Amino acid sequence: MNYPVWDIPFAGSGWVIGIIAIFHVMISHFAVGGGFYLILAERKARREGREDWLDVIRTHSRFFLILTTVFGAISGVGIWFSIGLASPQSTSALIHNFVFGWAMEWCLFIVEIAAIIVYYATWDRIDAKTHMRIGWLYAGVSWCTLAIINGILTFMLTPGKAWLAVAGTGRESSEFWAAFFNPTYWPSLVLRTLTCFALAGVWALVTASRIDGFAKPELKSEVIRWSSQWLLPSFILIPGALAWYLYAVPESSRQLLQLGVGTIGSGLFTQVARAALVTTMSSATILAVVYFLAWKNPKDFGLGHALAVVFLALAATGATEHAREMIRKPFTIGQYMYSNGLRKSEIAHVNQAGFMTGSLWTSGDTGEAMFRGQCMNCHTVDGYRAMRQLLHGRDRAGISKLLGMLHDVPANSPYKNYMPPLVGTPAEITALGDYLGKLVGAAAVDPVVQGKALFEANACNACHGDGGSGGPLAPALVGVGTRLPGDKLADFLKKPSDKAAAGGMQAPKLSDDELKALMAYLNSLK
Amino acid sequence: MSSFPKSEASVDSGPMHGVYKWADERLGLTDLAAFAAHKQVPQHKHSFWYYWGGISLLCFIVQLLTGVLLLVYYRPGKEAYESVRQITYDVDFGWLVRSAHSWSANIMVFAVFVHMFSVFFMKAYKKPREFGWWTGLGLLGIVMIFGFSGYLLPMDELSYFATKVGLQLPSTLPGMGAVVNNIVRGGPSVGENTVQRFFALHVVVLPLLFMPLLGLHLALVQKHGNALPPGEAARPASERRSVPFFPNFFAMDLAMWLIALNVITILATLFPWDLGQPANALASAPVGIHPEWYFMSQFQLLKGMGLVLPGMMGEIVGMGLFTVVLIFWALMPLFDSETVAGKRGRIATWTGYLVVTGMLGLTIWGYAAL
Repeated sequence: MNYPVWDIPFAGSGWVIGIIAIFHVMISHFAVGGGFYLILAERKARREGREDWLDVIRTHSRFFLILTTVFGAISGVGIWFSIGLASPQSTSALIHNFVFGWAMEWCLFIVEIAAIIVYYATWDRIDAKTHMRIGWLYAGVSWCTLAIINGILTFMLTPGKAWLAVAGTGRESSEFWAAFFNPTYWPSLVLRTLTCFALAGVWALVTASRIDGFAKPELKSEVIRWSSQWLLPSFILIPGALAWYLYAVPESSRQLLQLGVGTIGSGLFTQVARAALVTTMSSATILAVVYFLAWKNPKDFGLGHALAVVFLALAATGATEHAREMIRKPFTIGQYMYSNGLRKSEIAHVNQAGFMTGSLWTSGDTGEAMFRGQCMNCHTVDGYRAMRQLLHGRDRAGISKLLGMLHDVPANSPYKNYMPPLVGTPAEITALGDYLGKLVGAAAVDPVVQGKALFEANACNACHGDGGSGGPLAPALVGVGTRLPGDKLADFLKKPSDKAAAGGMQAPKLSDDELKALMAYLNSLK
Repeated sequence: MSSFPKSEASVDSGPMHGVYKWADERLGLTDLAAFAAHKQVPQHKHSFWYYWGGISLLCFIVQLLTGVLLLVYYRPGKEAYESVRQITYDVDFGWLVRSAHSWSANIMVFAVFVHMFSVFFMKAYKKPREFGWWTGLGLLGIVMIFGFSGYLLPMDELSYFATKVGLQLPSTLPGMGAVVNNIVRGGPSVGENTVQRFFALHVVVLPLLFMPLLGLHLALVQKHGNALPPGEAARPASERRSVPFFPNFFAMDLAMWLIALNVITILATLFPWDLGQPANALASAPVGIHPEWYFMSQFQLLKGMGLVLPGMMGEIVGMGLFTVVLIFWALMPLFDSETVAGKRGRIATWTGYLVVTGMLGLTIWGYAAL
């Protein structure tokens, strides 16, 4: 834990990124698709000599300029701030690897912004041919910004074998292009490009819906219908592109997506499938609304209808991006860095040296620091994926068992596909258990009760009788604490005397904690 | 909606014409189309409330389809809980179907209540629509029994105890309480037999009662058309606007259905219905057992009466009060029958306000008192 922790109560820091990013996706994809819309609409208008179309396109370009440059840029910077705070380790890894990617992105971005400002400012001021060239420049450059950021985004899900081979060696950037053109790069680029075109149509409907249908019924019908067509390629091709994408993601990610088809049981990860369902449904609704309200009845298509489509598109994009983020679990960078910022390669070392040794920013309670460092990236105390709710009803021993499973990651662990392994020394993990136990008010286990259960589970009562009352094969254990005081009882249980062994006494196979509990029970027999 | 083809015009020519003519002679399609086109839907500032009957109908269709799918896996009797557990946690999309069924049921009850109160305040129960009002009340009653009987079917802790509490009501009936209780429960306490009975009620008896009544209700609406609210009716005919039910209002109805369907699916997808622990008659009832929200006001009325009156008196008086209000409510078309607004009309309106306020107040009180 090399960095301070960003504590967002209730929602969790992930949702701060999520909300900004979903907003950004809606606008940035429009910024790419909308560029093509503007220039193709302008070309159509000029070829057909439609002055009234040009007026609409000019209005749309102002809306486009303000929305994309102001809100697109603000939310883009917001993503940087929030990921830097929420996942500093991952952000650092990305910067180390992709600094030249971002340099390219930045250069293209400057050209993009300049081009759209010039495009808007030069309507009627320069000749049509030059104006359209600027439009084409904008469209081309803005698509290139997508092509670059797409490389970095897909890298996080599927970094690819070549890059993973050099990861952690200090020569990561030698595999820059392999990391960039990673296994999901192309399907994702196709998917996003199609989304850009669909969103260009959706946002264009907003402008078109404001044309006065009574004064200019012809114009309104034409623009609305032409804009509706922009959704068509996406709706036809996206299912295929999505299948290609899913083919390229790791098997474990696909499993995560399927988990929620059959059940709502296994914790909150079934919500990935449910998010995908929301995408399907809102997309189908967009298709129905655009067909029935925009295509069939363009003159009556109002701003309310258009905003409804925007809202549905927001639901579809939001749900899709959410599902995409979730299938990356338990990593932020596939097979390299876990969602809590720990590198896969450092797990063994941290288990030995302790999680707290590298944590320069914490003081005070180890358990709480463990929680903040390893759990809080995805969990909150009371809100989203709340610990109080998830651990509800578990006693302290149950929490220990869960933490043990998260630490050892046995093959049958239901958590291994979504949660990073819990790391730290046994003392640190006990401290975390104590902290969590206190958080949920877990009942401390009465060692005498636990010991009684162990006494029966290990069949001690078969010979010594229920409650240690004695039997034909073995003596009563009442008062055994006085006969074998202190460590003698423990020694005896670990290695029974020869006489007892000859009589059939076996050393019970118990952990240290369990042995303590059993002794507490035996000592209580009086 | 000018782009919608007129039903007759579209078949005037072309190869479909022959087919249409053939079918028309045998089925009377033109008459049906004329019947469908005959109804005009008034357009005014209260038109929004006309949609709620349609939303209720959509919910019923969703209930029918999801209900049939649930029937494929549900097993009443001993295995009731286990089969719902399988539906929720094992069967692909079983959770979705079950959640859609539950959410749609709740939205349906809500929509039917909104529909009833909007009809009431628009005074749409007056002549000649009395039977529309009575069939509607009948449908509401059946919907409530649908809800009550369906709630028990998963047989988890909550549904078990809520049903147990709910079934104590008939025991307040003078004289025959025990007998009625025995018949409904199929034994001295809620158990397998109760689930079996509720199942028969929920999937056979109630639909058999509901569907003909619904058919009559819809036919009456079609026959008499939508009522005008008093304020609108007072305006001269030349100032009133209306659209034909088919296809114009029907298309808007469909848009509403699309919205409602999205709401149901989003709720079912993002907030699926979980299943509690299996019902255990020997366990103590979980804290805060309470009926579903649509029974809360009645529940709280009885509870409230119990606070002021001793023993069973509270429940009996509460039941009596409820019955009297219900009868007055049902007979409202006969009481408030004048076509021009008068004293009785004002009494009816104030009764409506009282009932809405009373139900909301009792419901809030009920939840606050949990």
